[in-house]
Amino acid sequence: MTKEEVQGATEEEQQAQSKKGLKKQQKEAEKAAKKAEKQAKLAAEQQSTEEDDFAKDRYGVSAMVQSQQKLDRVLVRVQDLTPENADQLIWLRARVHTSRAKGKQCFLVLRQQQFNVQALVAVGDRASKQMVKFAANITKESIVDVEALVRKVEQKIESCSQQDVELHIERIFVISQAEPRLPLQLEDAVRPDGEGEEEGRATVNQDTKLDNRVIDLRTTTSQAIFRLQSGVCQLFRDTLTKKGFVEIQTPKIISAASEGGANVFTVSYFKTSAYLAQSPQLYKQMCICADFDKVFCVGPVFRAEDSNTHRHLTEFVGLDIEMAFSYHYHEVIDSITDTMVQIFKGLRDNFQTEIQTVNKQYPSEPFKFLEPTLRLEYTEALAMLHEAGVEMGDEDDLSTPNEKLLGRLVKEKYDTDFYVLDKYPLAVRPFYTMPDPNNPKYSNSYDMFMRGEEILSGAQRVHDAQMLTDRAIHHQIDLEKIKAYIDSFRYGAPPHGGGGIGLERVCMLYLGLHNVRQTSMFPRDPKRLTP
Amino acid sequence: MALRELSSLEKYLGLKKPNKYSTQADKKIPVLQNNNGPPLVGLVTIACHLVKEAKRPNLLGDSAESRAVVHQWLEYRVTKLDGCTKEDIKTILKDLNLYLQDKVYMAGNQFTLADPFMYYGIHPLIVDLAIQDKEQYVNVTRWFDHIQHYPGIRHHLPPVVVPRNRLYTSKHH
Repeated sequence: MTKEEVQGATEEEQQAQSKKGLKKQQKEAEKAAKKAEKQAKLAAEQQSTEEDDFAKDRYGVSAMVQSQQKLDRVLVRVQDLTPENADQLIWLRARVHTSRAKGKQCFLVLRQQQFNVQALVAVGDRASKQMVKFAANITKESIVDVEALVRKVEQKIESCSQQDVELHIERIFVISQAEPRLPLQLEDAVRPDGEGEEEGRATVNQDTKLDNRVIDLRTTTSQAIFRLQSGVCQLFRDTLTKKGFVEIQTPKIISAASEGGANVFTVSYFKTSAYLAQSPQLYKQMCICADFDKVFCVGPVFRAEDSNTHRHLTEFVGLDIEMAFSYHYHEVIDSITDTMVQIFKGLRDNFQTEIQTVNKQYPSEPFKFLEPTLRLEYTEALAMLHEAGVEMGDEDDLSTPNEKLLGRLVKEKYDTDFYVLDKYPLAVRPFYTMPDPNNPKYSNSYDMFMRGEEILSGAQRVHDAQMLTDRAIHHQIDLEKIKAYIDSFRYGAPPHGGGGIGLERVCMLYLGLHNVRQTSMFPRDPKRLTP
Repeated sequence: MALRELSSLEKYLGLKKPNKYSTQADKKIPVLQNNNGPPLVGLVTIACHLVKEAKRPNLLGDSAESRAVVHQWLEYRVTKLDGCTKEDIKTILKDLNLYLQDKVYMAGNQFTLADPFMYYGIHPLIVDLAIQDKEQYVNVTRWFDHIQHYPGIRHHLPPVVVPRNRLYTSKHH
């Protein structure tokens, strides 16, 4: 290129540059103008919102309740809201289950444990636009204080527990705000598994639920399960107390493994080590030798079994019974089965709401039992199994699949989900089990089953120190380790027997659930130590 | 295994003189040395021959269609059933269950060679089935129980217990 051409080119470039530059400047100017416009608009809006918000002091986030004042205010329970309270102005505190804005209204569902009620904030003379917006933005699970008018509704609100009323909110304050991102959604946690698959909606798997137990326990299903569990404990205590039993507390830090050395947790005990009790067995018996006659205890049981099954926990609550009897250990069986039947009746009569709530998510057949309780002998059970094609020896223990099959056969033949199996073979029972007086192959021991799964193992105990020593030697148990136990029978011991049940397993089987972790509040298993 | 089957078949057919069989290759394919002609090789071939010898050709089917069906199941037994893997068992039982929904015997309403053939072949699978599965494949169980009680069939195999009553009635065990 020649010089002129270059110059021309540069001039062109310059022109082009300045054209570009002009364009750029123009663009920036436009941008700035737009931004200024927007800001001005916002400012104007804000001003207008502040100006127009006549409901400013009827909503907001409250200061943290640090017990600053004693308010003389009565908070009504959601479960008590009925058409009888229509047109009353009430206060209540509940969680925001859902909040949904729709134009000039915001619909909320307020929840308290198993009960919920629909509430609404509408733009009007009591609520401003800003208040409705605030209500719509309250995060799920936040706890709110609400003052509202109770209104009767013509059409039943199917999705809530309180179907005949609706709350018209006058004031709403957030007492405790929940973080916006919940680790799991409560609707998903309550959805039945089948429904989730069919409709393609989410369900929450068990591990997630257990990791975020605090939120999972808020669901209607969990609330129902643990209220029923509380009922089981209550009925157990009440029934036994009425029968003259005394509640005892036994030590959980012990010097020798009670059921055998394999599945026991060791703890360091100052300069030596000790064990966590696998059962209150030894102490229950010592109480009988101490003349308490009939005792029961409710307490934790620790089994270091590395079993990852649907029905094993490393720590669970044991409900244990022990009693002295007059002449035959069947007196003990009758007492225990009667207690169980009273528990089943109590649950059936007083906890139907809870049972139905659980069935919504986990459908199952109602629990059936006979009065008096069905009692089969081990040999009879073997015959039933043989007839169904199962091969088993006379002195074999029942495997889990065979137990379940036997449960099915019994259900089919006798129509009961609860029965006792009596006279187990001696070889498969612990050393302190009393052998059968007529047939040395068998023992005075029994198991009880619910829905085909074992819930109780019990027996008449050996109450003679010499026989106990012989049996221990036969089972190759170190006599030194159980010296204190054997000694307790040297100074007069009445004939006695008993058994123990697992609270979580009984609840699981009564409700027809399939995993014991669902009935344990903060379950412990080989893979789980928290929460 | 195949040899025992053939001798049971002979007993059922009422053949007076039991034949002498030998086997071929590791799969133990049965071979029948005939006086007149080349040896007969293969379970299906020998079985058909025995049926003809016993002058019971109706066991192979009355019409052309039923003959085809019978042969189909004889083939099925030797190709699909013998030596099937664990994963196949579920599919086989499901298919059979569907097929036997509206049929008394394998070939429809008549007892044919296909029935004992399939019975011998499927016996090891049924023996190991849990009661719950037996209830699930209810048509297979019904047919199996029928054939195992058919006079003259069950010679060398142990009977499989089939409970009369439904144990697993509800969906949720």
